Amino acid sequence: MLSLETFELTKAFGGNLVLDKTTVSFQHGKVNALIGPNGSGKTTFFNCVTGLIRPDSGRISYAGADITRRSPHAIARAGLGRTFQLCRVFPRMTALDNVLAATRPRGANLLRGARGRAEIDRARGWLTKLGIEHLMQTEARNLSWGQQKLLELAGVLMSEPETVLLDEPAGGVNPALLDRIGGLVRDLNAEGRTFVIVEHNMDLVMSISDHIVVFDRGRPIAEGPPSLIRTDERVLGAYLGA
Amino acid sequence: MPSVSERSTKIAATVALTAFAAVALAFPELAPNPYILSVGIVVLNYAVLSTSWNFVGGFTGYISLGHGALAGLGAYGTGLLITKGGLPSFVALGVGAVLVAVVAIPIGYAALRVRGASFVIVSIALVLVTLLVFQSWASFTGGSRGLNVPRPFPGMLRPEHHRVFFYLFLALLALAALVWWLIDRSRFGLGLKAIREDEDKAETLGTPTFAYKLVVFVVSAFFTGLAGGLYALWFGDLDPIFQFSILTGSYMVLMALLGGVRNLFGPLVGALIVGSALEYFKVEFGNTPLHLVATGVLLALVVLFMPDGVLPALGALLRRLSPTTDTSIREVTAAELAATGGDRQHAESRNL
Repeated sequence: MLSLETFELTKAFGGNLVLDKTTVSFQHGKVNALIGPNGSGKTTFFNCVTGLIRPDSGRISYAGADITRRSPHAIARAGLGRTFQLCRVFPRMTALDNVLAATRPRGANLLRGARGRAEIDRARGWLTKLGIEHLMQTEARNLSWGQQKLLELAGVLMSEPETVLLDEPAGGVNPALLDRIGGLVRDLNAEGRTFVIVEHNMDLVMSISDHIVVFDRGRPIAEGPPSLIRTDERVLGAYLGA
Repeated sequence: MPSVSERSTKIAATVALTAFAAVALAFPELAPNPYILSVGIVVLNYAVLSTSWNFVGGFTGYISLGHGALAGLGAYGTGLLITKGGLPSFVALGVGAVLVAVVAIPIGYAALRVRGASFVIVSIALVLVTLLVFQSWASFTGGSRGLNVPRPFPGMLRPEHHRVFFYLFLALLALAALVWWLIDRSRFGLGLKAIREDEDKAETLGTPTFAYKLVVFVVSAFFTGLAGGLYALWFGDLDPIFQFSILTGSYMVLMALLGGVRNLFGPLVGALIVGSALEYFKVEFGNTPLHLVATGVLLALVVLFMPDGVLPALGALLRRLSPTTDTSIREVTAAELAATGGDRQHAESRNL
């Protein structure tokens, strides 16, 4: 079963063609990685898939449904969660509220208290898993960059997405915490969650990915398991180097 | 468990609220003359308007300068429903506010699609358009001649009239504050605050931001309409140039900013300061524009020295005076992580 697919997805900014009829698919239940040089269109691809940018043409399909024209919140509710390259948290809210804000109440539940015992326990669970539970009452703006990245991830996981898009999760995170993120991704994947990860840290990518797609100039130039990508001539030429 | 500084902040807030409630309830008896009592009503009216504005400005961060138009619509709606529709005064007040809320749906639907400076400009346009309509449609609204709104208690002497309306405005302020508080602690409120912090991020977490903004804009319009309508019943004489004034919306913003937009009582504190100052300058300096100059200076001082407002500044001061707690945001080291089981995850991730 394919979880996320795009068909001839195209996006240009002025005369700069960032996504060039990109047709690609990511495997359900796997840890997928999307790698490529800076400016190869990886983040624009994420932005199109999550509805923050409207593609010029092409189609995006998730779990068999066309999500090309859906709003970002509808895409999130369909099961796609994401983090950002330059991590985005709610700066004037506490770490706890950052995570609680990811719950999705409907109808009369909207007027219930935001800090119910069950929600707090669940939020605390994610913060603990990411090693920042002790910062629960600290405003997000007062956290370090690495901690903000962890907090952002905790918020996304709180929203219980079926598929998680991580945009450079290793950026600015210390090596010890990076291993924790890697381990968490594998644990969550073992529970059935799909991941698509944009990352430049090749140690992390090669150690946790099942399937890698390589972008160059807005197009996939190679895809396959890490062992194959490591030795692919086109990938070596465009990105990894000899 | 709340920290020492949180407890002291809560105690200070409770004491301040109790003191305000006691003074407010006794104010009509304490006021030396009807003029001072009328100043109290004007300040309360500002407090209701500013609290109503704060449903949008405080929760979502959208700065509307157009709320003066919503107050004007509430005032004229109430006045016209009484004079043209023959409705009893307080029925007209309720119906007028509901109509303002209904009108706010298409207004919000269009205006809330843009953000930042664009939203501010759209909100200013709303004031100008409504001013033109109500001025030029003289056959219906009275135009520049104004609209006389019959008093709800015709036989009542002026001091007693002021006293009744003081308590009515106080009750309306309590109601608006109660609804603001309920939203503040709710999941809906948390979603609104997420919009204020980062709207795109809130969207990607699954918050239907546009629907949230529209709902809170309509709630805000309802209370603003009620405040405008109650003012019409109290003052009794409406003129488009004053009812649809950009200044009204600007005062609401200034008061909320001054007190603190993230605080339930921020707009009230702002209204007490700005409302009193405006009346003082008007009395002392007559028809000069000095009250406007003073307003501008006040706004500049707030932005420069208390960008979060008076209440957050006082809260920060209290926290500084309280004993510090031993907290740190230092990140964990590899050794600490290993001690908490991170080594296991590390090994697992490497072995994959």
